[in-house]
Amino acid sequence: MGHVERTDKTLPLNEMIFYVRRDARLRERWNTDLEGIAREFGLSREEYEALRDKDVRRLHALGVHQYYVPQILRLFYGAPMNTNNHPALEAYKRAYPEETARALAHAERREQRGRS
Amino acid sequence: MAQIVAAMAMTHSPGLTGWFDRAPEEHQKLALRATAEMRERLIAARPDVIVAFSNDHLLNWPINNTPEYTVGIAAEHVGPADWYDEWLGMTTKYRIPGHPDLARFIVNESVRRRLGLAYLRTMEFDDGISVPMHFLNPEGAIPLVPVTMNCTVPPVPTPERSYEVGTILRDVLTAFPGNERVAVIATGGLSHEPGGPRYFWVDEEFDLWFLDLLKRGDHQALLRECTLEKMEEAGSGGTAELNAWVLVMAFTRGPADVLAYMPAVAWRSGTGMVVWNELA
Repeated sequence: MGHVERTDKTLPLNEMIFYVRRDARLRERWNTDLEGIAREFGLSREEYEALRDKDVRRLHALGVHQYYVPQILRLFYGAPMNTNNHPALEAYKRAYPEETARALAHAERREQRGRS
Repeated sequence: MAQIVAAMAMTHSPGLTGWFDRAPEEHQKLALRATAEMRERLIAARPDVIVAFSNDHLLNWPINNTPEYTVGIAAEHVGPADWYDEWLGMTTKYRIPGHPDLARFIVNESVRRRLGLAYLRTMEFDDGISVPMHFLNPEGAIPLVPVTMNCTVPPVPTPERSYEVGTILRDVLTAFPGNERVAVIATGGLSHEPGGPRYFWVDEEFDLWFLDLLKRGDHQALLRECTLEKMEEAGSGGTAELNAWVLVMAFTRGPADVLAYMPAVAWRSGTGMVVWNELA
């Protein structure tokens, strides 16, 4: 099956993101006390470090739900305009250079076709 | 008894409201034209209530407890959730009246037909409901019963199961003791892989193939050919939102009109709008 099946449904980090997204007080602490939040939710050292490093590939490998990964990047970088220039794209380019390059080249070709 | 008067489906990608102008102009034009036509056809059907089938993006339910389906039974729905407002470009909250009588009837009547539905007295809204309502019910004039499925947290449901649930819910809705005219609207899809390795990929070939199956209108053929495996290959954890479309297909007969298709990488998903002509 697909990539989403690699989710570890019991991973503390997957529980943590649910509550951070819903709680303004936790979000305020995100950039100042990430380690404290991680401790409160029982994250392993590995989970905390992958999170701190914004390491898309390690987060996936640990079983973080894939939908939460761009949301985690949003917590670090902010929300506005989830465009192709957003830091999320840079993070995915680093993690999955081939997949991302192929997708963007394909989109580019399509847009040129649309304009001609 | 209540009557189904319209069945339609559209993509709910957050880019449609959050960063609409980042897509090629051609895509913007197509999306505006198609959503305007959907809205006209919706209004022409004179619905008293919309039952919208979408999916929860881990907003209402944490990962340790994700019900198969959830019905929003509130007297008034308010959205989007705080976490989504800036993302969706909706910094002012919308308010849409609910239909608690119908919503609670759906929950209880489904039990009698061996279908267990969760419910929420206060549901929070992400792109799944917010984006289609922005285009189709912008004034909140038509009351809404939101129904979300879990197609995000594995196990992802199969199209067969979604069609089966659609068949049960068709019987449930039409058993409602009232004169309500009901529009059913599916939201989600088409191909995309939110947050996965192919986050920036849209599978145009799959999307056109799927839309062609809808145009052919043979439900059994679609269920036979469009397996969950095919959906997952076209974008894991996202394309299976099309299960909501398959569910609504169970309310219909025959071919659907495809109003538009845009392989909109900028909006982060294959984007399409569909209206069925004949209701089952």
